Amino acid sequence: MVGDEVSIQMRNLSKSFVKGKRSVIALQGFDIDIMDGEIMCLLGPSGCGKTTVLRIVAGLETPTDGKLLLRGKPITGPGPDRGMVFQEFALFPWRTVRRNIEFGPEVKGDSSEQREQISSRYVELVGLKGFEDAHPKELSGGMKQRVGIARALANDPSVLLMDEPFGSLDAQTRNLMQKELLRIWAATKKTVLFVTHSVDEAVFLADRIVVMTARPGKVREMIEVDLPRPRDRTSKEFISVRGRVLTELDEEFEKARAKELSPD
Amino acid sequence: MSRSTNMSAMLKKILVPRWRELTLGVLSLVLFVLVWHGVSWYLHETSSDLTPFVPSPRSVGEALWKSASYLPGLDRYTMWDLTESSLSRVILGFFVALLLAFPLGLLMGGSRIAEYMGKPLVEMFRPIPPLAWVPVFLLAFHAFWGPVAIVFLGAFFPILLNVMFGVKNVDQTLVDAARTLGAKKLDIFVKVVVPSVVPYLMTGVKIGLGVAWMCIVAAEYTGLSGGAGLGYYVMLSGTGGQYSYMYATMIMIGILSILTAGVAGLLEQRFYKWSGMK
Repeated sequence: MVGDEVSIQMRNLSKSFVKGKRSVIALQGFDIDIMDGEIMCLLGPSGCGKTTVLRIVAGLETPTDGKLLLRGKPITGPGPDRGMVFQEFALFPWRTVRRNIEFGPEVKGDSSEQREQISSRYVELVGLKGFEDAHPKELSGGMKQRVGIARALANDPSVLLMDEPFGSLDAQTRNLMQKELLRIWAATKKTVLFVTHSVDEAVFLADRIVVMTARPGKVREMIEVDLPRPRDRTSKEFISVRGRVLTELDEEFEKARAKELSPD
Repeated sequence: MSRSTNMSAMLKKILVPRWRELTLGVLSLVLFVLVWHGVSWYLHETSSDLTPFVPSPRSVGEALWKSASYLPGLDRYTMWDLTESSLSRVILGFFVALLLAFPLGLLMGGSRIAEYMGKPLVEMFRPIPPLAWVPVFLLAFHAFWGPVAIVFLGAFFPILLNVMFGVKNVDQTLVDAARTLGAKKLDIFVKVVVPSVVPYLMTGVKIGLGVAWMCIVAAEYTGLSGGAGLGYYVMLSGTGGQYSYMYATMIMIGILSILTAGVAGLLEQRFYKWSGMK
């Protein structure tokens, strides 16, 4: 499913911001190429800048330095060619499921027939048929995130950016949503950049896993997950990849902790 | 289904879940009247100097009843006339305040320039009691529009400040979500900021209405020409020693304030129901 074309190219990406009187370097010399149709997971200790990478690609933040291209063109701001899914869902509470999904087409200026057609297609794709007229507060966490995914897909972006999208769901729902995401991914052929805390989730979903260093965030290791889908979490191969990622990550956790304890 | 059963079903739906609140509310009112009666009776029995200032609930009730057709000291007017005149002043002043404060609040909450320019003015004029303007406004705008202008000042700031606060408290992730979906500034304003601000607006409206009623009494103190209001009659009956009528008028103001607050509350619930937010 992974194509030969580069979707997102990050070269020497850096981001620093001012916090009080100090300047904090969140990201330094971040370098990766994400291939078309690939699922890439970003893993790393908290505060390593995973979310910053995602927000920069989304265009919500501007890098301090470096080059960032989407299909060869520089990213200068948010755009409908990149859809984003948020950890806390970020659904518009006053809009129904259908109207949440139609938000993108609506600001693009699509006619109501076009919008209706689009929302019906994605309602069906994410399995929300029958809930079109419900408001977000009437939905469970998993269903809310289905709306979040459908809403991001409604613009037909080439890239789906996911910021710990299943982080606030319970374990069962989380596993179900991972399978659902893979099904939707196979049906839509999107490039997915996925930020997570969970090694298990990363190994289950990703074509490649980027383990990031503690702040300032850099690429520590790029791990290819060469396992056929659907993946079996109990298989020997799965456990071995999981072990490798955990070892890498543990060292960074230790470093992050040591840094936190030492005065600077 | 007939119209009347429909109505009673609707009333049931509103009242039944709130019976506890309603019963306790009525109980508290009954207790208040009993205590009042006791105080009035005690003062009367002990021939206290304070007796005339605390008429019995019964005499105030009678005054309220009679005031529908006759007001001592104010020929050709009834309680209805006073109510009509005060209510229209309050509503007018309140709506002018709403129409100006809502867009200005959005502007000051959304634009730094507007905030920095508006804030010194707001901070300077807000602490001045609207009543300080009474003499000037009555002379400049006369008996009807003078009180309207004072009500306007009273209701304006609570609405303005709450709307401004609402804009500043818009959930930033919703704005981010809208931006990633391709929304430009105007879309974000219309489709994210304005709906987010409505609950804050309603808080401002409810506070503003309360202040409006407080203002009207004082604003009408001196105004007879152009239509006497409830505030004027509180003052007239009070200085004329007609305490039963004075209290009856005060009760009327309280009832009207509860009614307008109730209408605002119903509108608020309608909005929440329609928007699915609560």
